[in-house]
Amino acid sequence: MISYLVDLGQLVAIFGLLAASLNLLVGYAGLFSVAHAVFFGLGAYTAAHLALAVSPDLLLGVLAAALLSGAASLVFALPALRVRGEYLVIASLGLQMLGSTVFTEAQGLTGGYGGLAGIPAPSLFGWTLESREALLAAALAILILAQFVINRLMRGSFGRSLMAIRDSESAAESLGKNVALIKTLAVALGSGLAGAAGALFAFQESFVNVESFTLDQSVLILAMVIIGGAGTLAGPLAGAALLLLLPAALSFIPHLPPTEIGAVQQLIYGLAMTLLMIFRPAGLLGRSEGGG
Amino acid sequence: MPQSHAWPRRPLLAGIAALPLFAIRRARAEEPYVLGTLFPMAGPNAEYGTIFTAGAQMALAHIAEDKMLSRPIVLRAEDSQGTPQGGAVGMSKLVNVDHAIYVLVGFTGVSKAAAPIAARAKVILVNGGGVGPDLAGLSPYYWNVIPLAPDEIRTIVPYLASQNLRRLAFIYINDPFGNGVRQSLKAELAKVGGSVVIEDAILPTDQQFGAIAARIRDAKPDAVYFASYGAQQAEIIKQLRDSGITLPLVTYSGANIPSVETLPEAEGLVLTTQASALSSDDPVTQRFVRDWRAKYGTDPTAYNQNYYNAVRLFALLTASLEKAGKPVNGDTLRAELLARRRFPLVGGEGVFDDLCDISMKIVVNRVEKGKLVPLT
Repeated sequence: MISYLVDLGQLVAIFGLLAASLNLLVGYAGLFSVAHAVFFGLGAYTAAHLALAVSPDLLLGVLAAALLSGAASLVFALPALRVRGEYLVIASLGLQMLGSTVFTEAQGLTGGYGGLAGIPAPSLFGWTLESREALLAAALAILILAQFVINRLMRGSFGRSLMAIRDSESAAESLGKNVALIKTLAVALGSGLAGAAGALFAFQESFVNVESFTLDQSVLILAMVIIGGAGTLAGPLAGAALLLLLPAALSFIPHLPPTEIGAVQQLIYGLAMTLLMIFRPAGLLGRSEGGG
Repeated sequence: MPQSHAWPRRPLLAGIAALPLFAIRRARAEEPYVLGTLFPMAGPNAEYGTIFTAGAQMALAHIAEDKMLSRPIVLRAEDSQGTPQGGAVGMSKLVNVDHAIYVLVGFTGVSKAAAPIAARAKVILVNGGGVGPDLAGLSPYYWNVIPLAPDEIRTIVPYLASQNLRRLAFIYINDPFGNGVRQSLKAELAKVGGSVVIEDAILPTDQQFGAIAARIRDAKPDAVYFASYGAQQAEIIKQLRDSGITLPLVTYSGANIPSVETLPEAEGLVLTTQASALSSDDPVTQRFVRDWRAKYGTDPTAYNQNYYNAVRLFALLTASLEKAGKPVNGDTLRAELLARRRFPLVGGEGVFDDLCDISMKIVVNRVEKGKLVPLT
């Protein structure tokens, strides 16, 4: 049972980091995206290749994944500088489709649907993290570090500028804020952190393929941010924990016939999400409308 | 004077002290073997999960009826959601919470995500659904009880050549399974002087095939071979027929599911499957077919047969281990499989190679009025 909880804990830490990275765009910058799984995937493939061909060093994998995803995010920054709201969502949808197609077709790099298998256990400072607990500790450490950085940034001038742009882009611009630069930096930082989460995911699963970086995954990440509470530090973590642990908890429902297990779990899961949004529209830890 | 009927104290105390040991031994004897299933049980591929599970459940009923094992078997089901992530989470629960020692699995991505977890825990993973050649030798604890795609191609191509169908149009999913079929198909066609005159790679999510139908018409092939799976197969068949393609349609065992076979447009579809479970006269097969028809009122599919065989294989191996007084775990099950190799299964004798992959006779069938009619 402990091993199972450790496995779930790893996923919660990885998706918590992923949701926190999207929260930078959605919650603080007001840039809605359904293409975040692309940057998550880029990071995962980068770390997987490095681990298979060069070294399974965790820090190397995470840093390389973050850098590559951050750099690649410029393709998302371009539409983000020009459009907002629902138009940006459509632009990001196109990017997600593009990313999924590249992941599928570039079989020499990604293995397509066959993916990259046999990713070795990561190492850290020369120590191989064979145990699941060690990888959980590493993922939690990276998550805490990322949350610390996000917290400091959002409390500083960068964060205030970002939120000013979210609330009124033209007003921020009239006050002399470099909107293009701030938006680009936010996109690069959010995507870079998504890449870091992807690297951890590759080591956690030991296998990556395109099925983990689809539009469904992007929607799930967005749901984690919205359900947890966009624009808050802890909200995305709560959203990630809820959306990952609720299906796991539902799998313990006793006496379900094997052929009905999926349908019953999906029904309860869908109902719970709907009720949550009716009674907590700002998310689990989100501020209410009047709460500022 | 009558003697008092005193119990000797030492044996009595020893007996009392031994009681917990008997209780433990009895509890162990009754402790069930835990088998797991890791199938998609919701969403577009849920039909497969239901079909796979039904085969396994019938095997469990027969094993219990025959009292093949000293301990009962319980089946724990996890929904893989058809995704690697869902597969990894489900496998972790089956291994770490349910303590399953033998898990049935069926999709490539799920298999590859679950295989490292199974290998770490030395739990046997058995595939009876995926036929991609990359599933061979995934790990020492990963077995295939379904012949993989190249086996089916080696059977269908000579049949097509005998029917003078040598110029094929080919539609395939661009994944390891589809690419494996493509490679085998081209190699086997070359041996009989045939070729692929037009080919189209598709995604598993594609739903529109009108443009492909137009290209096929222009290429004027002798037949159309498609390698897809799930609900997409029905769409391919319908849209090709709706587009006026009257050529023979040919595929592999993935189409051996009711939603394809009962499709009016699928009349005449030619497909390969394992040797028909319906025609074999061995008692194992006859019992399976008889009981299946009695329970479901239909004929079993190859997938029902495969997962029945997967569970029956577990019982055969475990019965041998019990008889030899050996423990039942991943290592002993694998050693027993490699020591015996040949097993009486539904559809005939199953023979396993060094990678723990089965080979069985493949036959060519045609769909007639919603049922498979063997042609070879």
